[in-house]
Amino acid sequence: MNAGAPATGSRPICRGYGEAARRRARRSAAVTGIGLLTPLGGATETFEALCAGRSGLGRPPAEHPVAGVIPVAGLAPPVDPTSVLPPTEARMVDRFVVLAIAAADAALADAGLRVGEDVDPARAAVVLGNGFGGLTIFESQVLGYHERGRTAVHPYLLGGMLPNMGAARLAIKYGIRGFTSTVATACSSGAYAVAEALRLIRDGLADVVVCGGSEAPLLPTIATTFRNARALAGDWADPADASRPFDRRRDGFVLAEGAGVLVVERRDHADARGAAGYADLVGWGTSTDAHHPTTPRPDGAGAAESMCLALADAGLDAADVGYVNAHATGTKLGDTAEARAIRDVFGAHAPAVSSTKGATGHLLAGAGAVEAAVTAMALTTGLLPPTLNLDDPDPDCELDHVRKTARHTIVDAVLSSSFAFGGHNTSLLLTRASTRARRDPTGGQ
Amino acid sequence: MSHEVVKFTIDALRQMNFDVEDADADTVFGPAGVDLDSMAVAELALRVEDAYGVKFGEEDMDRLAIMTIGEFGDEVVRRSSATESVSK
Repeated sequence: MNAGAPATGSRPICRGYGEAARRRARRSAAVTGIGLLTPLGGATETFEALCAGRSGLGRPPAEHPVAGVIPVAGLAPPVDPTSVLPPTEARMVDRFVVLAIAAADAALADAGLRVGEDVDPARAAVVLGNGFGGLTIFESQVLGYHERGRTAVHPYLLGGMLPNMGAARLAIKYGIRGFTSTVATACSSGAYAVAEALRLIRDGLADVVVCGGSEAPLLPTIATTFRNARALAGDWADPADASRPFDRRRDGFVLAEGAGVLVVERRDHADARGAAGYADLVGWGTSTDAHHPTTPRPDGAGAAESMCLALADAGLDAADVGYVNAHATGTKLGDTAEARAIRDVFGAHAPAVSSTKGATGHLLAGAGAVEAAVTAMALTTGLLPPTLNLDDPDPDCELDHVRKTARHTIVDAVLSSSFAFGGHNTSLLLTRASTRARRDPTGGQ
Repeated sequence: MSHEVVKFTIDALRQMNFDVEDADADTVFGPAGVDLDSMAVAELALRVEDAYGVKFGEEDMDRLAIMTIGEFGDEVVRRSSATESVSK
């Protein structure tokens, strides 16, 4: 073995990564709360539907703005803005903010965490990912301005559409006064926000981080630009068949909306208040393709690098990882490049792999956080959800696919990756919960 | 006309999700009454500008924020009359 290589069984591609990280003292972070709003429903409904192989995708209803614009979409459950924000503030707030706050409400309730009682407000943080900001309300105001002029433009517009308003309004609602930030790395925003949470906790900057991502991209202009770019799945007879990561007949991704929020907490903080963990968040890695604004590197090198960095950061070997929740969206190029990256990183230690986007569609900035939550729930339950519609695996995407049905197996470590327009790659590593109290493996709470 | 502006204002505040069940011309915009924040005052001014063709400047906002709804109605009528006389 080379003197510079880690004293582990890592694949050659991962050698040389993270020696400094391995030596760095770490603090553990526990995932103690999960809140999801996806096309499959809330957190429990989403995980159950994923494992049962049910799709959350369908034709947009006739009254929806993207009806007739795209043949299939993933709609999150309706949320009345006045149920999550004061009525006087709720009128001019984009859906991405409403979804973020609703998911955060659910995550904080699930964690049983009261800001000001269980955590010092100055030691609580928020990091949320968002790609577009509030384009739906912005578009309506642009149209209003051109029709009616100055008085059609609402003075509250920015307070409802700026990309940071999910984090800001969440902080206001709960009186969170520590670090707050918003990540905008397109489709890896949600995963990157979770990585930031681990970094904040390790650096001693927060005891609790409410982290995740949300997106509300279902408006005609955005749907049309993706469609014109030939990035979206076509018009399948059954819209539930449209999203098919790694499948030979895949023809693009399905645009979806939603939010995922996790409560990530210093482990001893969680133990001190008796909080039950889903999983430990133990490592993260990010890299950049520096290749093309929208196309991934065909060799998957950037993706592989983020996975290697996450392994090194966690001090784990490729062989330790039993499951990979892939980014795989159902595009020809992206799925092939990611499969290659997974093979390069894991080699003979092939972990089980699935993509949850077959059932949820692609939640863009919400995706990485939802998938981090799903991997945490997979660790808790020992159930690996299948890739829906993976009927005929593409030979170019050869992997140990979980397909057709959920795989019941206890795994110790899982990796969740997210890649993005712009070439931003993020991988997260989670292991089984080491908090004294743990979640019920049957999925109860 | 002031009475009409008072009714318009109460309707506008209702649409803005403020509690105006007991509001009348004597209700103040401030914390003892409807409790408008600065953005809500700006929105209300915009709605009235759109409906009555009057104009409020940034310098007017602090003064509007402490008026009663009736005083606001009178102010709108005064400005509306001034606008009409100028346009004549």
